[in-house]
Amino acid sequence: MRKISCADNTGLRALPARAIVRALADAAARWTDADFPPRVRAAAAIGARLGYTMPVIDYALDRLFAGITVDAVSAAIVDELGSLACLDGFVERSGRPPAWARGAGAVTIVSSDTTIGVAIAPLIFALAAKCAVTVKDRADALVAAFAETLGEERPELAAATDARAWTGGDDAVEAEALGAAGVVVAFGNGDALRAIRARCASDATFVPFGHRTSAGYMSAAALSGDIGALARGIARDALLYDGDGCLSLHLLFVERATGAAQERFIDALVRACTANAIEFPAGTRSPARAAQAGAYAAAAAFRAANGSGRVLRAPDGAWTIVVDPPAGDLPPFGAGVIPLVFVDGPAGASAFVSGHELPLQALGVATVDADAIALAQRLGAVRVTAFGEMQNPPLAGHHGGRARIADFIRWIDRA
Amino acid sequence: MTDEYRAEADALDARIRAAIAAYSLDAVAFDALACAVFAHQFRWNAAYGAYARSLGITEATLPRTAAAIPAVPAAAFKDAVLCTVAPERAALWFETSGTTQSRAGRHYLESPALYEAALLAGFDRAMLADGAALRYALLVPEPRLRPHSSLGYMMATVERERGDGQSGWYLRDDAIDVPRLRADVARAHADGVAVCVATTAFALVALLDEFDAAGGPLPLPPGSRVMETGGFKGRTRVVGRAELYARTAAAFALDESAIVAEYGMTELSSQYYDSPASRWSARRIKLPVPWLRPFVVDVMGQPLPDGIVGAIRHVDCANRSSALAVETEDLGVLTPDGLLLLGREEGAALRGCSLDAEDLLRR
Repeated sequence: MRKISCADNTGLRALPARAIVRALADAAARWTDADFPPRVRAAAAIGARLGYTMPVIDYALDRLFAGITVDAVSAAIVDELGSLACLDGFVERSGRPPAWARGAGAVTIVSSDTTIGVAIAPLIFALAAKCAVTVKDRADALVAAFAETLGEERPELAAATDARAWTGGDDAVEAEALGAAGVVVAFGNGDALRAIRARCASDATFVPFGHRTSAGYMSAAALSGDIGALARGIARDALLYDGDGCLSLHLLFVERATGAAQERFIDALVRACTANAIEFPAGTRSPARAAQAGAYAAAAAFRAANGSGRVLRAPDGAWTIVVDPPAGDLPPFGAGVIPLVFVDGPAGASAFVSGHELPLQALGVATVDADAIALAQRLGAVRVTAFGEMQNPPLAGHHGGRARIADFIRWIDRA
Repeated sequence: MTDEYRAEADALDARIRAAIAAYSLDAVAFDALACAVFAHQFRWNAAYGAYARSLGITEATLPRTAAAIPAVPAAAFKDAVLCTVAPERAALWFETSGTTQSRAGRHYLESPALYEAALLAGFDRAMLADGAALRYALLVPEPRLRPHSSLGYMMATVERERGDGQSGWYLRDDAIDVPRLRADVARAHADGVAVCVATTAFALVALLDEFDAAGGPLPLPPGSRVMETGGFKGRTRVVGRAELYARTAAAFALDESAIVAEYGMTELSSQYYDSPASRWSARRIKLPVPWLRPFVVDVMGQPLPDGIVGAIRHVDCANRSSALAVETEDLGVLTPDGLLLLGREEGAALRGCSLDAEDLLRR
């Protein structure tokens, strides 16, 4: 077979894991500087590709790279594997045979999505596992640019990373990139994931990240609290990236309360959305998304004119709050739309989510307490967090409910 | 129903039928007719009137151009009765399948006459311009089984008024009676009668798959044609238009220009068809009948100039007894030659990893 990927992890395997993690964190730290020239170039390219405004792109890059620290990467590794040392050779394990967490060899990361830097986190952990990593890069070449910085820290990291752009369905590239990989990490919709999975080797580990949605739950108790701060968090969770992410708040369940409390909250949310649109201008929305948002808002306006619900909207359509949409309607999942679905309690939220068979990623709440955790479990969410933090997932967390590094290693037992 | 209403409705119906008969309506006449229909609906269609009033329209500020007529979103047919008469007085109702939402709606029509006149006139020009007398092979919902399918009603009307009495229905749910279709096409060959295969895109794909699996192609008699309609929303399989037409032409031994796409909606009374000039190209342009006009609008519903992609708004004067202006999520571009219909994927690459309703349906 023609050799296409040039990722070579020979040198990386000789490095101690601790040194690799240090180099990864150092490279990421350079990318936290908004004036770092590679980041400036990448940010411009991302803006051109996706249409997001620069404050939005900077927010994304800040959160992405600031999270890649020695402590965070090490914590995830230690939690999942027991130690960093087990990536370098056999370690003694209480009650179990000595074992070595050896990198899986070739890893391919494919993002069919256009989320900013989605491939970076799996790249970090695959490199920490000393794998040879091929990444399907986007037109903005963010991964390739970051790989260059990695190379400046440790040439072995750049050698082990092959960031390249290719077209989905390209037989020659995919035959090797997918067919020869021991681990394939894929982001995309159901059709894309099925197509990628079909091209993987039969014994490859396939790590899919499908499209998902996120929701918020505003309890009656929260409605009587500091609704200004909560509304600001909700607005950010819903409107950042125009609601394009799986961590974006796509609908908000609101427990029925007295009319005055509800009205105060809606007023606060309008103010928060207005402020958010100034801090994080929405940028360009695709015609398809614009049409979807427009149709949803127009339908709400029609219902309102005929006595049901309400719609509040920015003059330019940057955000839309739809109050009390019909339970049978799916929300548009982003495009600046925040549907406020009134429920009598958690059972109402559960009925809505199960009725539409929504795959839930995150649940945003006012306070992460026992009730919130119980609700997250009931809704099938894999993350529960406070409003305002939904778009800020910790690197060491389990994105999509999955391990960060465990999929990239093969245990060798000495027994 | 008051005498006043009846007189107003009859007068409008007469004007619309005159436009249908003439198959002509210039821009000024279209504006005048559309605004007259809207004024009628503003008065007699309670839900539409309430919506228009919520947008600031009053009796004193009624629109003077079709572009200024407020459009109801297609979803409104699920939320309210959009009819100038009480629903029990409507002669017909069609069930809307919706776009990406699960609830169904109803399009009520006071009388079948206008609906049938509009669809026949459009079909005659688009599909029977050569005056051919055809036999119809129908792969669309059969009214006997799906009485509230607008597509089924449309093709039943065409078959009744333009067919040779030997037409057949071959679709049962999603299953196609291929052996009977083959037998009937053989009979058409023997009778020397050209066939019009009227089919949904999805049924056509299923049929072509069946041909591939067993029996091979089914050459149609000379002069035959295909009318294809509908897309793949909510379906697990999507086939590109170019591939579909190439396979169809090969299977039926037709030129691709004999395949004509119809674009319509349950919420409308009139249809668009591929323009004759564009049937030889991959870039098919949709032409409306003269009493139907498309507008392309932005996210706030404002009309966009030619060449800019946006959501399509239809103003269909034949929707006299329902709502003449309907806004959709379908994307399009107005060109000097007509409407270029775009798939969702052609508007721009979708961003992000958020769930999409279509994705949810295909899980």
